Amino acid sequence: MSALPRSRRYQIAVPLALFIVVLAWWHPYAVIEGVQRAGLYAAIALPMALILGIVGIVNLAHGDFLMLGAYLAYWFAVHTQGDPLVAILPAALGLFLLGAVVYRATIKHVIGSSELSQLLLTFGLAIVLQQTATLLWTSQPVSINTEYTSTSATIGSLTFGTYGFVYVAAAVIEFAGLTFFLQRTRLGQAASASGQNPVGARIVGINVDRVYLIVFSISLALAGAVGVLFLTRHAVFPLVGGGLTFKSFCLAAMAGLGNLRGILWCSLILGLAESLVSTSKEYAGWADLIFFVAIVAVILVQSHRRQVT
Amino acid sequence: MAFPLYAGVYLQHTATIILTYLCLALSWDMLVRTGQISFGVAGFFGIGAYSAALTALNLKLDPLLSIAVGGLAAMAAALVLGLTTLQLRGMYFAITTLALTEIFRVIVRNLPGLTGGPEGTVLPSAIFDGDPTKTYWLLLAIALVTIAISEAFQRTRVYFAITSIRHDEMVARSSGLDIFKYAVFVFAVTSAIQGIVGASFAQQYAFVSPEGTFDIDFTLLPIAMCLLGGMHSTLGPIIGALVLGSVAEYLKLQLPYGHLLVYGAVITLVILLMPQGVAGKMKEQFVREQ
Amino acid sequence: MLAVRGIDNYYGKLHVLRALTIEVGRESVGLFGPNGAGKTTLINAIMGLARPARGEIVFEGRSLLGLAPHQIAHLGIALVPQERELFPLMAVKGNLESGAAHIPAAREKMKSTMEFVFELFPILKQRLGQPAGTLSGGEQRMLAIGRALMANPKLIILDEPSLGLQPSVVTHLFGTLKEIKQKASILLAEQNVRQSLKAIDRGYVLENGEIALEGDAASLAGNEHVKRSYLGL
Ligand SMILES: Nc1ncnc2c1ncn2[C@@H]1O[C@H](COP(=O)(O)OP(=O)(O)O)[C@@H](O)[C@H]1O
Ligand SMILES: [Mg+2]
Repeated sequence: MSALPRSRRYQIAVPLALFIVVLAWWHPYAVIEGVQRAGLYAAIALPMALILGIVGIVNLAHGDFLMLGAYLAYWFAVHTQGDPLVAILPAALGLFLLGAVVYRATIKHVIGSSELSQLLLTFGLAIVLQQTATLLWTSQPVSINTEYTSTSATIGSLTFGTYGFVYVAAAVIEFAGLTFFLQRTRLGQAASASGQNPVGARIVGINVDRVYLIVFSISLALAGAVGVLFLTRHAVFPLVGGGLTFKSFCLAAMAGLGNLRGILWCSLILGLAESLVSTSKEYAGWADLIFFVAIVAVILVQSHRRQVT
Repeated sequence: MAFPLYAGVYLQHTATIILTYLCLALSWDMLVRTGQISFGVAGFFGIGAYSAALTALNLKLDPLLSIAVGGLAAMAAALVLGLTTLQLRGMYFAITTLALTEIFRVIVRNLPGLTGGPEGTVLPSAIFDGDPTKTYWLLLAIALVTIAISEAFQRTRVYFAITSIRHDEMVARSSGLDIFKYAVFVFAVTSAIQGIVGASFAQQYAFVSPEGTFDIDFTLLPIAMCLLGGMHSTLGPIIGALVLGSVAEYLKLQLPYGHLLVYGAVITLVILLMPQGVAGKMKEQFVREQ
Repeated sequence: MLAVRGIDNYYGKLHVLRALTIEVGRESVGLFGPNGAGKTTLINAIMGLARPARGEIVFEGRSLLGLAPHQIAHLGIALVPQERELFPLMAVKGNLESGAAHIPAAREKMKSTMEFVFELFPILKQRLGQPAGTLSGGEQRMLAIGRALMANPKLIILDEPSLGLQPSVVTHLFGTLKEIKQKASILLAEQNVRQSLKAIDRGYVLENGEIALEGDAASLAGNEHVKRSYLGL
């Protein structure tokens, strides 16, 4: 898990802070909405980056596991008439176990084979999850309304929804937890080692296969928990995950594969950009292109850098 | 291959659909042979479809000519995308194409003046006035050309280039091959095929819409077909298209909400259990018996 | 301690090791041979990274066949790979700790073992906070040896440690082998036979996957074939 050198961090942070201040003055709603979106995107992207950085696999079914977590919470809320947020722990646990099963049955068998097989396998898994969800719950969007999601605050003449900041909290907690896990726990250090050099990890006595299984399961558990949060504010339908997978990968690629801290920054940039476009009246429909433009730019920059070195 | 001519409209229709998927599957496989994987087949299919429909409608272009325009438009889009994204590891390209279909859909939806927006656009009449026999001949011709291109790729310099890309990038580089150039070339050609197939599809049904034309079926089925039949050959995708294509319509009727589950399962299971596909398996059997 | 008996290894159809037999007791043993002789393959077979088609490998009475590399590491075999296989983004300290952290018996002695490693390679102490990927080739090799020692192994295997290093560094490295031998048995694969012969008790010459010669250091040094092919005399 590399972090940027301190000097480069400031090169990004200072202009970004200036930009946000100017933007906040000119268009405060876009900033609030953008920060909330950034929280959501970071919360979703962090677990994908974890797998990418350590197991080295792009999980194209990432967003679909999130979708599954959201449906679990929906099912729970409908059956118990309870608050869907209560389902966070059960959903995380359920997806952790599912992660272990999916890893053993599928992912394990393409570790070390071609990237092509890995991409196709997780693509196949994504389709299976999406279509199973369609069979179980139809393609109609579902949503849950709770009172607390419409809480708002007023600062001066500005009134805005505050519940969206729950995603920012989730992202920060996730980041802190993962950083602690990777740096301070023995298992986490084994995971970092396996991510940097699986052969090296094996010969120092690390059971790399078990590390991969746990990392994969943790990632799914986090995706499931974020899925529950997602349900409290968004409509959920079987295909909702595809776009989230793509956005997660964009963020992971932009931050540099395996760099968790970078994901927070990149989410902020893209979240703001997206909300700026979508809160404008004429161009709202084009907001979906932001991430695509970003990934193409990232690819151009990286291939340029590769040619230079 | 001529049998559906005497076999009634339903069979002709099924055969046309199989040929449509056969072209998509084979063109997808041609790109896979370079080590790059595209999840954007439906995107180029849709570009071709929209370009053909809009030029036929607005410029009063002859339907056949508009199909050619569809191919060119898809090729142009692929060139732009390929030149920017094919330089990095396959993963980046693959994921970019994953979003491509959705991106094109967003663009189409947001340009209602040109494309008809979310409702789509209807053409005054289908190609050949809806004659299923002529439509079948058209698709058969496109399929034969696609097969010829695939075989040409397997037998010429391109084959050497793309297999060395796949097997060893270093070897390819040191032998002076510009692998990037070849990858872009193959991507452009295969996208043109997908565009032409999409254009024919639009002309056949005289209708394009964001949801119906950029349908994930057109990405998913070809991939499942190639995997089932066996990648990296001309024969594999053909076998896969014949097998899955002939059950596709039936599955759609029987499982309107879950037929795609079958293809997802096929992809997953083939990768895990039989990565060489049916054609590879048969070849292996054949070699063993020799 | 370690006995390899009649193993055959293949890469596809390529027959790399042929009925190979070697033994390592409480001693230091050399394994000499030109590029492509099969030294790394033999080491990988011992470590569980390559699977022999036939034969057996026994360490302290336990068969190693079918065990995974991490299990073999837990039994007390540590490897200094030809390619070093460090954790490039981790600091020197983290790399050293990783050698002991995943082996319960070694974990308890982590501090004192690290002191021993610093005595052998003082430079590592100065580089403690630096990512391993930024070290020089010689420093990386020392770190790889240090990491292996951190496991408190009973047997340490070094795969061509002198590869690509300056002569002065090689001399220093081979000098440390005597101290390492106080703690563990050594299996040393090398092409630099001249220097190695000073550091080992006994050796094997491996050619085309077969043992061509074996004997103690003195008899190998006096052997005509060894003189001609490996010592350039
Ligand atoms: N991964 C591999 N795949 C195929 N052949 C290999 C592989 N590794 C080594 N070989 C071949 O096996 C033989 C022995 O190699 P190796 O054990 O690395 O020899 P050494 O370590 O003595 O130089 C060589 O002919 C080499 O080309
Ligand atoms: Mg070697």
